Amino acid sequence: MNAIETERLTKRFGGFSAVHDLSFAVPAGQVTAVLGPNGAGKTTLIEMLEGFQAPTAGQVRVLNCDPRAGGRAGQRWRARIGLVLQATSLDSQLTVLEALRLWAGLFDQPIPVAEVLDLIDLAGDAGTRIGALSGGQRRRVDLGLGVIGRPELLFLDEPTTGLDPEARRGLWAVIQQLAAGGTTVLLATHYLDEAQRLADRIIVLDDGQIVADASPDQLRARGGMPVIRLRLPRGTALDGLPASLAGHVDPARGELSLPSADLTGDLATLVAWARAGDVDLTGLEVGAPSLEDAYLALTGRTS
Amino acid sequence: MTRMLAAQVGYQLRMLARNPRGLMISLFAPGVILALRLSQSGSRTGSPSEKAAIIAGLAAFGLIATCYLTHAIGLVAARESGVLRRWQASPLPRWGYFAGRITATVLLSLASGAIILAAGIGLSGAHVPAGSVPALLAVFVVGGVAWAAVGTAITALISSAEGANPVLIFTYLPVILLSGAFGVLSEPKWLTTLMSYLPGQPVIGSATRALEFSGSGLAPVSGRDLAVLAGWAVIGLLASVRFFRWEPVRPAHAQRDQAQAQTRRARQVQA
Repeated sequence: MNAIETERLTKRFGGFSAVHDLSFAVPAGQVTAVLGPNGAGKTTLIEMLEGFQAPTAGQVRVLNCDPRAGGRAGQRWRARIGLVLQATSLDSQLTVLEALRLWAGLFDQPIPVAEVLDLIDLAGDAGTRIGALSGGQRRRVDLGLGVIGRPELLFLDEPTTGLDPEARRGLWAVIQQLAAGGTTVLLATHYLDEAQRLADRIIVLDDGQIVADASPDQLRARGGMPVIRLRLPRGTALDGLPASLAGHVDPARGELSLPSADLTGDLATLVAWARAGDVDLTGLEVGAPSLEDAYLALTGRTS
Repeated sequence: MTRMLAAQVGYQLRMLARNPRGLMISLFAPGVILALRLSQSGSRTGSPSEKAAIIAGLAAFGLIATCYLTHAIGLVAARESGVLRRWQASPLPRWGYFAGRITATVLLSLASGAIILAAGIGLSGAHVPAGSVPALLAVFVVGGVAWAAVGTAITALISSAEGANPVLIFTYLPVILLSGAFGVLSEPKWLTTLMSYLPGQPVIGSATRALEFSGSGLAPVSGRDLAVLAGWAVIGLLASVRFFRWEPVRPAHAQRDQAQAQTRRARQVQA
């Protein structure tokens, strides 16, 4: 069974087409990441799936319902989905416990509040007002409210933007736990590492269209040839570096990144240049193309 | 559903009680003005009708401030912070959110109205029979709902929390001042007639008459005043159903992202 189905889904704002002709399906139980640069149409797409925006054309079915349905059918549908919106949307004057209890009261069979507090690791802050929490803690409350109704489908719109690395990992652990329990997750994100860590499947959007739809491994393989990377020590002179390698140095990042069809030959050239110039090769890496390489190739961005 | 609504009223009451600005508007400001005015008019020597007008005017001032200003500002703030969007996406029916919010606002305004009335009666030494209470309750409940309904509708004209005060003060103050909250206005005639059709004067006028009542039994309530207030409640609710916005004006970052995407696409087309 599919949790999400779209058919030629399109959204235009005046003459500008934010989402154009998108057709895809998300099977129940899958964690799908929607990646794309700013303005690619991620938020517009997710808002149409959540029912906040009406499509200009095309069809959308979420849990086999129209997300814009009103009345009792709409209420029943909303009880089956969970949302973590792009921006935190909480009453800062409520305590964590009050917010969770209030939200639990909206569902027939909510997860017990104590379990949610453990899940989001805020049992020690249950009595704290939300306004006094850190950004990461507030995001975890957002997530707690999103999952307390045992949703079949959870929408996460850039859930870790602005969080420190520790808070991000904490949130990832919760999402992984939910996914392991069978919740379908649609995750919109800017972060490739987040998509790689959490998703079974990645849909890359650019200018409102799908430019790739594959598993993280398949997508990485599309990056093409193996890559030689070398973080150049500060102040390294590039004199004597053969043009075939020098063309792949990004001075701003201080990095050589070379997709190589002749790994042995290119490495030999690089090592010879390093030996002659006494360049430190500690930062040398050789490997498969990264998800970032594949993503940049797909969206045509340089960085 | 009853449980959901009760929870919603409890939640909204909690939010209002934790809002110091709202309490300031509904209790502190009218309380201080009441004390000043009663001392100015000679609290023990003024005529009963003069005292009744002062007390009723200030109780109405607090009540309407809560139901209109605090309620509308709270709604705009909830819309801007995304709280309304979250409720919109919840299984709570949309009318349930407003029923909870308006009920809580009216309950709080009744409590603040009762405190101001009690303070006014205590300070002025006026005697108010128990038979006045049902009339006061009726006019404050219907008046509170009317102002909260109009307050809900007017949020459609307000784009941000910063922009809320000018719109609300500009609509609230003239009505409340010309309706006699700080002294009865008898001239010009056309103005008093106009005011009798707006939702301020019926609250103040009916409350004054209820406080002046000195007979036995129940104080009468003006059917005309209640009808005017009920009319405003209906107008406010219908306008809210038609024009209320759950979403803030599209945030700046979204407009910027969209403009960037348009520019990029235009460049690609040129290339």
